[in-house]
Amino acid sequence: MRPDLCLRDAGRRYGLRGPWVLRGIDLTVAPGRLVRVEGANGSGKSTLLRLLAGIDAPSEGRITGRPRTAYVPERFPPALPFTAAGYLTHLGTVHGLTRKGAARAAGEWLERLGAAAYAETPMARLSKGSSQKVAVAQALLAEPELLVLDEAWTGLDTAARAELERAVAERTAAGGSVVFVDHDPRRLAGLPDATYAVRDAGVVLQEPARAPSASGPQVLVEAQGPPDGLLPEDVRRTVSSAEETGPGTYRLSVPAPHSDVLLRTLLAARPPWHVVSVAPQETGPGRQG
Amino acid sequence: MTALMRYHAALLLRSQRWLPPFLLYAAFLAIGIQAGQPVLDSLGYTAAALLPVAAWLARICVTGEPDAARGCVAAVAGPARAHVACLLVALAGAAALGTLATLVVTLLSDPVASDHRTRVPLAAAGGAGLLAALACALFGTAVGALTSRPLLRSPGRAVLALLLAALLSLVVTGSPAQAAVQGLVTGSQRGTVPLPLLPLGAAALVTAGALALAGALAARRSP
Repeated sequence: MRPDLCLRDAGRRYGLRGPWVLRGIDLTVAPGRLVRVEGANGSGKSTLLRLLAGIDAPSEGRITGRPRTAYVPERFPPALPFTAAGYLTHLGTVHGLTRKGAARAAGEWLERLGAAAYAETPMARLSKGSSQKVAVAQALLAEPELLVLDEAWTGLDTAARAELERAVAERTAAGGSVVFVDHDPRRLAGLPDATYAVRDAGVVLQEPARAPSASGPQVLVEAQGPPDGLLPEDVRRTVSSAEETGPGTYRLSVPAPHSDVLLRTLLAARPPWHVVSVAPQETGPGRQG
Repeated sequence: MTALMRYHAALLLRSQRWLPPFLLYAAFLAIGIQAGQPVLDSLGYTAAALLPVAAWLARICVTGEPDAARGCVAAVAGPARAHVACLLVALAGAAALGTLATLVVTLLSDPVASDHRTRVPLAAAGGAGLLAALACALFGTAVGALTSRPLLRSPGRAVLALLLAALLSLVVTGSPAQAAVQGLVTGSQRGTVPLPLLPLGAAALVTAGALALAGALAARRSP
């Protein structure tokens, strides 16, 4: 088991006598956790993420337990003299993949994000959204233990946004940690294990405002296990509600980004569960509480 | 580290920003060296001219990557390793350029001392010229590393500091680059081939220190 990533009394300022952007930060990111960081513009969110990603070292205090990390910046420059696939292959090998493995992972992720058509396009000719997809792909292709997303959804099309949410669910289900900033409050709503607000150069742990089931689109899954079957522990952790409708039959409600992870867990369980039906849950205007 | 260096080498080659320093070096040599001149004199000139070129190449490598892309690589590999890898690519480029230039200049020059009468062995002279060129490539890379990001971030000041430091390291007594070049020139006057191992070792030490310092500061002083 890898250790938690810990910031201990960490502070950061630019220049030797600059004002403190962050100070006295104590923060722990355990494996498998999804952490949201909030704050006003210029409050130091990006600085905090750069500390967590290991791009910047703290000016005081320390960071321990550095895992294999990947980072997605908010704006990714197309001014790189590579094709999209060429850049991703280089980054994959920097992540530690073999050249062949990196090229294959690059192809897969461009495909998943809907940018496979641009694999051989020089990055200088990519649109803003497509270069953001390349930025997302470079972070995901080596299955990092810590994924740091600085407004990574900005500029992506709807399909790619949903794909990134699913990728985040996959990472946390696989024991990776994810830290993200997004200006949209509904992004992965209800899913973060912790939300921190950056304010006055410090971070404040936010109270969980609402029950997980109350926010974000949900998917209904009907599944049948052995007659006296109890839900596997992994499934219990993923779903937002579970209702036993018959012996061994459950109606599960799961946050939409986690639906694939849930199905995979059910089908891979021992003994495997049978998936009876999958349907998006109707979210009427009355279902907000 | 290999993957990092391959990435930075590809970035340098494909950006074509290596072309201006290479052309400048070719122009330096075309102006200063003619076929049939004493070999050690010409090799001294070849090595000396390599120093500012190596410094410029280091600056190109360090500044060539956009900030956001640098962040992505730094998160994966660590900022210090990423920074050192890109300086090593610059050093390898300068060393390759210096080796090629030394080879060509050795073949074009006459194996004689400054008086055009005393013979000097051509192969030994070429070897001494190569060591001096490597010392200048190393020291130039150190100059480039210490006068660009993360130590000096304002481009105006950085370029001025680079030019000044490159000039000083060629003329100030005690600098390994100056010692290496001076060794070739005095060797040519005396008709003996020097072995500039000491300047090379000193330049390697200085460069290792400069790279370590720049790497250590990469995470502390960005962006």
